[in-house]
Parts: sequence; structure tokens; C-alpha cells
Amino acid sequence: MAIAFVLNGTPVELDIDPDTPLLWALRDDLELTGTKYGCGIAQCGACRVLIDGVLTPACVTNVGSLEGAFVQTIEGLSPDRSHPVQQAWAEIDVPQCGYCQSGQIMSAVALLAETPNPTDDDIDAVMERNLCRCGTYPRIRAAIKRAAQISQAQ
Amino acid sequence: MTLELNRRRFLASAGVALVVPIAIPHVSFAQSVATQFNPYLRLEPDGIVTLFSPVSEMGQGTHTGHAQIVADELGVDISTIRISVPEQPAEPYRLIFGQMRSVGSFGIRSWIEPLRLASAQARTVLIEAAAQDWGVDAATLDTENGLVRSSDGARGASFAELLASASELRLPNAPTLRGFEGRRYVGEAVPRIDTPQKLDGSAVFGIDVRLPDMLFGAVRLSPTFGAEVARIDPSTASDARALVEVPGGAVVVADRWWTAKQMADGLDIEWGSSPHANVSSADLTAAMRAGLDQPEAPAAASRGDATGALEASAQVVEADYEVPFLAHAALEPIACVGQLRDGRCDVWMSTQGHDVVRVALEEATGLPASAIYIHTTFLGGAFGRKTHGEVAVEAVLASKAVEGRPVKVVWAREDDMRQGQYRPAMTARMRAALSTDGSVEAMHIRLSGPMMGREYSHITIEDGVDFFSHAVLLDQPYCETNFLLDHHEVTVPPSTCPWRAVSSSQNGFFLEAFADELAAAAGQDPIEWRRAQLADRPSHIAVLDSVARRSNWSSPLPGPNWGRGVAIVESYNSRVAQVVEVEMLDDIPVVRRVTLAIDCGEAINPGQVRAQMEGSIIDGLGPALRCQITLQNGGTVQGNYDDYPILRIPETPEIDIEIVNTGAPIGGVGEPGIPPLAPAVANAVFAATGQRRRVLPLAPDT
Repeated sequence: MAIAFVLNGTPVELDIDPDTPLLWALRDDLELTGTKYGCGIAQCGACRVLIDGVLTPACVTNVGSLEGAFVQTIEGLSPDRSHPVQQAWAEIDVPQCGYCQSGQIMSAVALLAETPNPTDDDIDAVMERNLCRCGTYPRIRAAIKRAAQISQAQ
Repeated sequence: MTLELNRRRFLASAGVALVVPIAIPHVSFAQSVATQFNPYLRLEPDGIVTLFSPVSEMGQGTHTGHAQIVADELGVDISTIRISVPEQPAEPYRLIFGQMRSVGSFGIRSWIEPLRLASAQARTVLIEAAAQDWGVDAATLDTENGLVRSSDGARGASFAELLASASELRLPNAPTLRGFEGRRYVGEAVPRIDTPQKLDGSAVFGIDVRLPDMLFGAVRLSPTFGAEVARIDPSTASDARALVEVPGGAVVVADRWWTAKQMADGLDIEWGSSPHANVSSADLTAAMRAGLDQPEAPAAASRGDATGALEASAQVVEADYEVPFLAHAALEPIACVGQLRDGRCDVWMSTQGHDVVRVALEEATGLPASAIYIHTTFLGGAFGRKTHGEVAVEAVLASKAVEGRPVKVVWAREDDMRQGQYRPAMTARMRAALSTDGSVEAMHIRLSGPMMGREYSHITIEDGVDFFSHAVLLDQPYCETNFLLDHHEVTVPPSTCPWRAVSSSQNGFFLEAFADELAAAAGQDPIEWRRAQLADRPSHIAVLDSVARRSNWSSPLPGPNWGRGVAIVESYNSRVAQVVEVEMLDDIPVVRRVTLAIDCGEAINPGQVRAQMEGSIIDGLGPALRCQITLQNGGTVQGNYDDYPILRIPETPEIDIEIVNTGAPIGGVGEPGIPPLAPAVANAVFAATGQRRRVLPLAPDT
């Protein structure tokens, strides 16, 4: 039986094994490859997406649990990289290899939705689940603070 | 004129585009195998300048640097530049050792002059074309923003208008290069040209490639180094599109990766025997330690009489050091899309080792190099690991098994971490004779461990020197006379592989941790002692002075359980000094602050130099503090980020960076930030505790 949910504002139906992790459904069935595979065990954060507004690792979330859910991925953040977090990321020139950055950006979006003016501890509490082997952490921290400013000016 | 012939040949196919190939100053021993001579620069009528760059973009920022160099020398806006990596390794793209690879922090320093030359050649013929058209002296014209302009501003023409006539002109062999004054891009912290794609999920990495009709492959690889498949029960993957035996394991092909992965995990495989089946890290460490006690070993460097001088000395300092295997753990796992059909082999992958992949595919397919095409994507981190071609072979063999449909093979994280290609484990015994003023009269460094150069047939080990094992130590700056570096070789089951900074990563630790012991034995401050030994090296002194000043080296620390340590290492023709402040919490070092200075000569993009230094500190802290690969029963214990815990954001220290330019030649940037980090941390731990920790990682169980 097909599973129906809303992906980046568009209704989708998936007729696949309900045990399939959302990560692989996104990448292989729905052809949205912005959400990345890094560990498969919710350790690296590269696959973090928003499900009903809640930051969730897609690698350990089965599609069978998504009936009627609203799923947002990096591709659905803005049509033109204009989300305040994307603006701040560009301004600070955060990415190096860039592979983890979809997850980093989605985590920052979730953080700022809950906590518009995050302290360093607030940032750590959410972002510590996202690994970056290039070591862009100082710029991520700066960009989150910048994104908070951009959001408030809007 | 070969250049001229090549240029005319490609002009014919390039229409009205202006195509500028390049003469590489290196003499390469490898023969060109490409069917296409890919020009370096192609100017099109739509105003786009395409640069075929031999360097992959893996986060190090080289593509942005190349775009800056070309934009300035040619006189175009950087937004008009596109960068593409050639599909076939060819002579013009090879490094000095004859390979097309993105390694060795060569990206800028090896290519800046060829890129400037090609860009200046293009600029010169565009100006000449305008000068002839307008009947004016070329010396009165210049380029800017994709236009040729007269110095009085009266006349101007776009490059596009001039392409046809410029293409007819002979390229000058020695065009005038623009000076470094008044440049628009070089020397500025220009934003990375690839940042926009990396903000919305549109950047394509090897693991993201999707082709029509593509199938997916998951691997099941040997849990023991050196074991091959003895028998597979095919009925355990009866729903697979294909089950393909590959070196060291099998690939299961299915319509979706998750399905393939489930079947690969469920395969009933009997593995053959391996000579390494009982090997553990404890055994290897014991063998390496025994090598330190051997009376003699093959010498890599020998000057004067180190042994005699050590025997005669009144003050000898001796210490043993150890480092473990390390995995690369790039966030993007090993992956490749391969296709084999109609006598042609194509791979789409995030590779930094084009010639390595080419050779692996030649051997696997029997096809000539001219039939092999490598389509390079962005690399989701690499750090040396993505020089290899195992996954390309797997993908191509899988494609062959499904009638030439493209197959994307993706390794799981555990496959990536457990299949070797590690930074070698190594031990070192450091001995030095100190004179009364603290200078080093004699030094003997004994290494005991693998020799990575054995894995690279294109670079031989000559006269005992292995550049994959002996960097930093061969030309250590502390002992001019009576120096001996020798290496007792211990072979190890896993393949070893360059890991960011290669042997400089462990040798920098050995040398600079020991230097700290020498300073202490001499009763001198660690920075003052280094200043005295390095007095005739102005770049070393400049970076040391920078970190001493900016770290407030002599100022009090917040508490008695704090310590400051220093280290300085020259690698890849750059000098990097670091001062690390640690706070000991229950015997565990917590790194609070890192002050870094680099002299890489001219910084093409200071923003990216800083990014690489920030990244090197954070990247280096995991292995300095707690990451290691250990072996048990012939296989790897660790498998994922839960037991190979690279640094997380809350642990990021305060970081201060200064770029010091003493006018030295351009040095590398991607790797030199790594080697001083671990010894500076270890030296800070000593300063805090009075105890030396000589084994990495420093706090393994945290």
C-alpha cells in the first residue's frame, strides 16, 4: 500500500517497502540528493530533515511512519537560496567540501525556529549532532548568529 | 611548434572559440594517453571562460584560487569563469612525479604559473587582434572585465568580438605577466565560487550522480584483511539483478540501494583463509617496538657520525613515541557510478587520483586508456582516501554484469572505515646529544613501522628514502651534523594510504614532541629554545614570533591545571607554528585555545587559507585526542562515527590565525596545518601536568 505524505509542499505517494529509511527514499526514489548519507546510525547529521517541523535523522526514520507527514528537505528551504540561514552561510562563506552542509543548514533552521537568539550553548545543543570533517564549526557558529540578525531585520 | 600545432588542431573543433593550451614546465616520464588534448582555457562567444583544471575540488578551495588567478591575468569578471576537470589524464595535467592527482597541497603552487601564462597568452592575442583592427599600438591597450580597451577609454571591444581574429594569431611564448599590484582577486578573500551550490543541495558529489536506467550496488567486503571469497550461496540474493564477485568481496545489484544493501548483508559467504587472520594491534605494536631495539636498520639519511657522537656525549635525551592507524572518515563515503559498454568505460566519481583510477580500470577491463573516461564530481571530503580506484572497478564490473547499464556502487560507512587505506601506525625512537648551550650535537631517529612507498610503484624507494614515510624528518632543522635517520620496516595487513599531511602528520608529532623534551632538558623555554636553534631560518622565526605574541605566551594561565604548548613544522613548503592551551579535567586534556601562524608565501585567497587552518586544527584534534583504528583477529574494530569520534562543534577551541608572508615562494595550504597540532597539544599537556604523553591519541577512552 502506498504511503502518502507532503514533501516540500507537494503531495507524494511512495509504493515501496515501508521499512525503507526516508533517506534512501528521498535519494533513490524521489531523486532529491541534497539530503546526504554519512553514517546510517544517526551519528553524523548529514541526513537531518524536518518532519512536521521537528529535526529528524532521515537515515533511521522509516517511510512507513510518514503517512500524512510534512517533510521538508534542503531543496524545499527556498527557491533562490534566500532563506536567512542560506544568506548567512553565503555571507560567512561556510562550506568547504560542502557534503555535510545540507544537514548543518537544516539543523540551523530548526534551531532558529525554536530559539531566535541562540546562545553558544543553544547552538551546541542542536549542532553537536552534525559532524563536519572539514572543520567548518567556527564559521557555522558565526553564520547562525548572523542568520539570527538577518531574520530579525526582516 | 607543438604548441602551435595543438592549438590549431583544437581550434578546428572549437569553432570561433579561443583555445589556449599550455606548456608545462615539468618534464613528465609518463606518456600521454588521452584521445583528447583538453585545452586549459577556452573562451566562448557567450563570454564564458572555461578552465580545464587538473585539480579536483574536495573542499580545499583550489577551484576558487584558480578562478582568481585566471580572472586577474586575463582581465575578466570571476563570475564568467567555469571550471571543469578533464575526463582523461593527459600530460599537461600531470604533477612533477608524472601523475594526474589532487594531492600534496600542490593545487595552487604547482599550477599558478602555467595558469598565468595561458591567461596572459590569451590576453595578448586578444589585445593584438584589437590593435590590428583599430590600427593602434598594442601597448596602448589593456583588458578589463572581458573587454579590450584603449588607455584613453575611447575604444573598446568585447572578447567575444575579437575571438575569431585572435584565434588566427600566434600565441606568444613569453607574454608579459601582470604584476601583483592592483589585482582585483588574487590576494583577496574572494568568496568561494562553489558556495552557492553547496547551500541548496544542488552540488553534485559522486554519490549523487543519477543516470537514466541506472541500477544500484551495495558491497559485502571481507571482514579480514587479505581474505577473498571462497564460496557464495547465490540463493541468498536470488532477487538481485546481479551478484558480482569483485576483489575482496561481492557487489549485489538491485533497483534501489537500500534493497541491494539488505541483500548484501544477508549474503551467505564463506571467506577464504588469510595470513593475517590472527593479527591484532597489540601484535603489531610489539613488532614495531622490537624494531626500535634492533642494532641497525636501513638508513634514509646519514651525516657525520651520529652514533659515535651520541656515545661520547655527556647529555643524551631519549624518548619513544607511537601513533596508531587512522581512517580518513570523509563524510561522503566511497561511491562511484560505472558503465561498461561498446568498448568504452565511463566512471562518474569523486576522485582525487585520476591516473590511479585509470590504471585500475585498464587492468580490470582490458581496455586501453583512450577508452576510459573519468567524470569528476565534487568530492565530499577526501583527505587522501579518494586517490584509489577499488570502487570504480566494482562499479564497472557490476555494469558489465547487467548488460552495460550504469551502476552506482555505494559503500556503507562501515565498509569505508574497515577496508584499510589507513594512515600507517608508526613508532619512533628519538635520541639526541645536547651541548651545554642546549644545541643538538647529534641526533638519531629510528622509525619502526610500515613503508607506505611500497604501495606506490610509480615512486620507488631509493637509497632507503621513502617520501611517504620520511617527510619532515629527512630535513629536520635541529641537527646539521651527526644525523642518522633509519627505518626498520614492519609490514602490516591493511593497505596504507596518504592521510592529510601524509608522513608529516606523524613525523611532525615525533620531532616536535621531542624538541620540547630537548628544550626542557636544556632548561630553556620551549619557544626560546626553538628560536635559538632556528635562528638562521627567518620564516620559522616569523611564525614563532607571531604565535608567541598573539598567544601571550608568557602570561599567566587561568589555573594550575592549564598548560601551553608550542610546535612548529615546515611541510609542503609552508611553515606553521601553533600554540595550544589545554585545561586538564580529570586527567583529560580539553583544548581551549589554538593560536596559529602560517607562512605560505603569497596567500592567493587569505579567506581560504584561514579556512584550511581552522579546518586543520579541528580535523587534527580528533586524532590528537581520541581517534584511532585498532585491529583484532585480522580486521578493524571501529566501524562508524560512534567509535571513531571526530570532533564535534562544542569542542571547538577558540582559534586565532595570522598569515605571515616573509616573501617565501608559494607553499601548500591544505595540509601544513595538521602536523604541529598534535605535538603542541602533547606539549601543553606536559606543561600542565609535568608528565609526558608520548602515544597518540592522548586521551583514547574519551
